[in-house]
Amino acid sequence: MASLAGCLAAPVLHFLGKLSSDATKLLFLAASAGWFVFATFWFRRK
Amino acid sequence: MAGPLASIASRMDRLYEFDREPVSPDKLQSGARFAGLFAGEHVAATEFVIGAFFVLHGVTAKDLFVGLLSGNLLAVFSWTFICAPIAVRTRLTLYWYLRKIAGPGLTIIYNLANAILYCILAGAMIAVSATAVGLAFRIKTPSLDAVFPASITWVLLTVVIGALFTTLAILGFEKLSRFAEVCSPWIFIVFVAGGLAVLPRLGVRADLGNFWEIARTKIWNGIPAAGQDKFGLWQVMFFAWFCNLAMHVGLSDMAILRYARKWTYGLYTAFGMYPGHMLAWICSGIMVAAVGREMNPGLMAYEALGLAGVAGLLLAGWTTANPTLYRAGLALQTITPGWPRWKVTLAAGAITSVLSCFPVFFVKLLDYVAIYGLVLMPIGAIVFAEHWLFPRLKIEQYSAEKRGWTFNWPALGVWAGTLTVCFLMPIHLYFRWLPGYFLALSSYVILSLSRKK
Repeated sequence: MASLAGCLAAPVLHFLGKLSSDATKLLFLAASAGWFVFATFWFRRK
Repeated sequence: MAGPLASIASRMDRLYEFDREPVSPDKLQSGARFAGLFAGEHVAATEFVIGAFFVLHGVTAKDLFVGLLSGNLLAVFSWTFICAPIAVRTRLTLYWYLRKIAGPGLTIIYNLANAILYCILAGAMIAVSATAVGLAFRIKTPSLDAVFPASITWVLLTVVIGALFTTLAILGFEKLSRFAEVCSPWIFIVFVAGGLAVLPRLGVRADLGNFWEIARTKIWNGIPAAGQDKFGLWQVMFFAWFCNLAMHVGLSDMAILRYARKWTYGLYTAFGMYPGHMLAWICSGIMVAAVGREMNPGLMAYEALGLAGVAGLLLAGWTTANPTLYRAGLALQTITPGWPRWKVTLAAGAITSVLSCFPVFFVKLLDYVAIYGLVLMPIGAIVFAEHWLFPRLKIEQYSAEKRGWTFNWPALGVWAGTLTVCFLMPIHLYFRWLPGYFLALSSYVILSLSRKK
């Protein structure tokens, strides 16, 4: 969930003018990678 | 029943044998499960295209919001009041219930029609994914009036992606479905994040004070793109309503709702409709406006979220195509004696990959979705009539099962006749299914009454 929140935080920060477009894309990519890693483990354990 | 037909019917029955019996009470599911299921199912690659097309069809902002609010509500009500009550009472899939009503012969035709329609939809999703990959190789996206592929590179791209999707489906549909569950929430976030990320580019202020002005003048400005029909409130409302016509009015989602504890669980479809068919469509509309209204989902995703956006589009295309390929393969298994699952999936994948080369299914996706629902709608009307109206009119139900009919000929006649009339109706394609539904309903009842006499 934190990864998904990170994914959403990136464009929100960009929208508020706190993050550049390139930084937004990078942060979104990193948070997405986090989601896939953690969510895959979690689903496997379910 | 004649030899080959009996053989096909018997194979078809064996395929669906696992859910022949009505769902037992211990297998019923909670509401939360349905909320999750519908939420995951209705955020797909199609949303990238549909929302963008509303912009290109010159929908105004007000018409879009009102149309999506009301149209999706009608869809939710259709699931709740038409599909769910029948599903909860019978606890059967449409396959087995239709077989009792229409006979195995007509059920085979229905299955095959569904398989072809699924293949075309999967092909369109491969084309959508191709726009993502094509960015890297500077392969031009088809124009809005394209029917045939314009370049060999487009053909190669779609065939390669189709082959990849097919290979993944062969290697492990079940395992990959688990991975699709991981993708689902993230894909929804891709839409929301993508829409948010490009709002500053369109001039929306951080306090959202001018959002509506930008929405009216730069996104849904009421000006259709060259060669596109202008859409208004009614087109948007009806599209949102019939987008899943085959599932609700067509009763295909009996397969899901038969596990519901009560018919009111149909209301949980709102968890799919509003995030998927409203919010995601709004976000893709915002994204297409940000790239100068160019219908290029790959470019839309890349400009909004970079590589992750492109990956999101690819995964959205794959998660939509994967189960579609599987279902098409299931349906084709009925006419391929003794073929192993991998071979059938390969056949479905090959057909789908060829179809994906033709951009018409992607650039005319809205019309295709309309036709998809229209083709299968009469079957929903026939089942509805038999379930609810026949007992009240004292007409024998399930004659096909009781009398051993291979074909319920009145049902087949009503199906073909309704589609013929719908084809000839002098009204917009999006509006034809509704009078067609009442025509199918009434003509089936009248034919059955005359049989009773």
